[in-house]
Amino acid sequence: MRNIDVAAGSRTILSNINLKIGYRELHVLVGPNGSGKTSLLNAVVGIKPYEVVNGRVFLMGEDVTRDPPHVKARKGVVLAYQLPPAVKGVVAGRFAEELARRFEVKKSYVDMLSEILEVGRLMDRYLFDKMSGGERKRLETFLTLLTKPKIALLDEPDSGVDVDSLNTISSALKAVLDFGTSILLVTHSLHMIKLLRDYVNTIHIVYGGTLLMSGLYDEIVPLVEKHGFSGLALRFSRGGTP
Amino acid sequence: MSRDEVLKALSKPSPYGPDVDLNRFNIGEPETPSLDTPGVEKIADRLGIGSWVFKKADYLQVNESIVARSMSEKLAKYGAIVLPTYEALKKLNWVSNYSWRLIEPARDKYVAATHLYGRELGFFIYVPPGVKVREPIYTCLFITKRGYAQLLHNIVVVDDGAELNLVTGCGVPDQPIGSLHVGISEYYVGRGAKLTYTMIHAWAPDMVVRPRTVAEVRESGEYVSYYVIYSPVESLQTYPRVILRENARATLNSVVVGGGRSIYDVGSAIVLSGAGSSGEVLSRNLGRENSAIYARSRIEGAAGPSRGHIECLGLIEGSEAQIESLPEISSSTPEAVLTHEAAIGKISEELISYLMSKGFAEDEARSAIIKGFLSIEEPKLPPQIMEVVRRTIEYIASRATG
Repeated sequence: MRNIDVAAGSRTILSNINLKIGYRELHVLVGPNGSGKTSLLNAVVGIKPYEVVNGRVFLMGEDVTRDPPHVKARKGVVLAYQLPPAVKGVVAGRFAEELARRFEVKKSYVDMLSEILEVGRLMDRYLFDKMSGGERKRLETFLTLLTKPKIALLDEPDSGVDVDSLNTISSALKAVLDFGTSILLVTHSLHMIKLLRDYVNTIHIVYGGTLLMSGLYDEIVPLVEKHGFSGLALRFSRGGTP
Repeated sequence: MSRDEVLKALSKPSPYGPDVDLNRFNIGEPETPSLDTPGVEKIADRLGIGSWVFKKADYLQVNESIVARSMSEKLAKYGAIVLPTYEALKKLNWVSNYSWRLIEPARDKYVAATHLYGRELGFFIYVPPGVKVREPIYTCLFITKRGYAQLLHNIVVVDDGAELNLVTGCGVPDQPIGSLHVGISEYYVGRGAKLTYTMIHAWAPDMVVRPRTVAEVRESGEYVSYYVIYSPVESLQTYPRVILRENARATLNSVVVGGGRSIYDVGSAIVLSGAGSSGEVLSRNLGRENSAIYARSRIEGAAGPSRGHIECLGLIEGSEAQIESLPEISSSTPEAVLTHEAAIGKISEELISYLMSKGFAEDEARSAIIKGFLSIEEPKLPPQIMEVVRRTIEYIASRATG
């Protein structure tokens, strides 16, 4: 992502975002509620009303900024929704089969993810219909990762889930990193980051519509724990360093 | 009821749907039965059944000619009977006990015309007590003649403890035909018996369709229906009624896909007349182009304890279509628990965006959503029938987005 500005209609949400995510890398975007993390993911994929109004998005050197969401997905940029909508009448198992067919993913890979994410018993249900928070997150993570994306954009897969689901989802992320998927993970809690500690390449803090700072796990996590997001922002605004 | 009373009813309009002048249509004479009638194969394809049904159909009527009627070995072995209604009435004295008992001949002009001029064409099916006919029985009623009135009287008797899965396909070739189809259907489900009834309609934009159905379900019996209409019509009006005795159950599913300038006035009514009875009405209505859909549903609680639920959902595509959802619940006993939910909306942009984020182009996303919306899974239908319904829904969804 090069010099990206994000807007929703006439409202600018983020300015001058630069992120470079390498092959099999795990980057984490953290920040308080309302800091623009979800807006960034939606804009990158092209989910209305969010839009990249300036700057460029590249995938392996190709400019995909103006590609519609389905074209980006087919090229390997796939978003996992924070709150995926219920799709009545669409059976989860059939939908998963259709995705696997479209993305030409082997059954063994799908089965591996299904086992890790424990979604087997959700397969005869309608997509996200009457599912618990943990079930929805596990299923959405499953459907996203089974497309074997080049980069998975995961919007708070940890919000509203219990510890078991959190462990399960973290295990799945580790597995797909090993299979060549890169990940941009959005969260506003440090819990999941800690579970993925050995896999995290860079953590980025978004605050007040801009990228406040980026760094390694050992640089960022202690600072956030000590000062909180707003405390860090305050130190920056005073011209100091954290 | 005297003939004069029925004659008088020829000018009696139905309380629902547009009134139609019956003089527009001719009543034909029997002709040499033939499957060579142009367009017949196409009709079977449009119904999702496929032309194999010509070999397998237990009853196939094209216009007023009965082209095929089988008393296959399997049915004969069971002692089950499939006959043209007129023949059943002639050969079997007891059939008259079931004829014109649930539907009054003077109910409206369409029923009166069928009673007076229909010559008891249509099918009669009987399943003896305790006999479970697992394999579906297929009946097909096609029209290929222009300006013609097809007036049918069907009687189905599923005796105590018996089971029958009946599939009826009604249709015309996909071209102007300007005909009328009236199907009077009286269904009797015995004590502890079960009838599943799937009906698929594929008509033309100038067809007038007026089915009249009443089912009586005796103690602990069960009736499950699944109705799909997806083609344009001039107008279609039907309001099947199911009467449930003690501990009887019914589920009435309907899928209406509107198109063209059609008027669909499609209802489902259940009368909970026995203690312990329960009924459910599920309807999905997709309004497209300039179509108007009147989705009626009614559950009457006449005895308790009993339960009834109506779920009526509508989806509008385009600004010219119209859906009116008219759920009614009525009770004369405090022990009937009756509920309903109804909603009409458009295809959610959020759903389209979601599916696009997973690689579906916008038209593919719309098609998948429509398919999901129209798919009422009915676990009580045999899998092979559900497969026919699914094929039809897929056909509809693939065409719904152009």
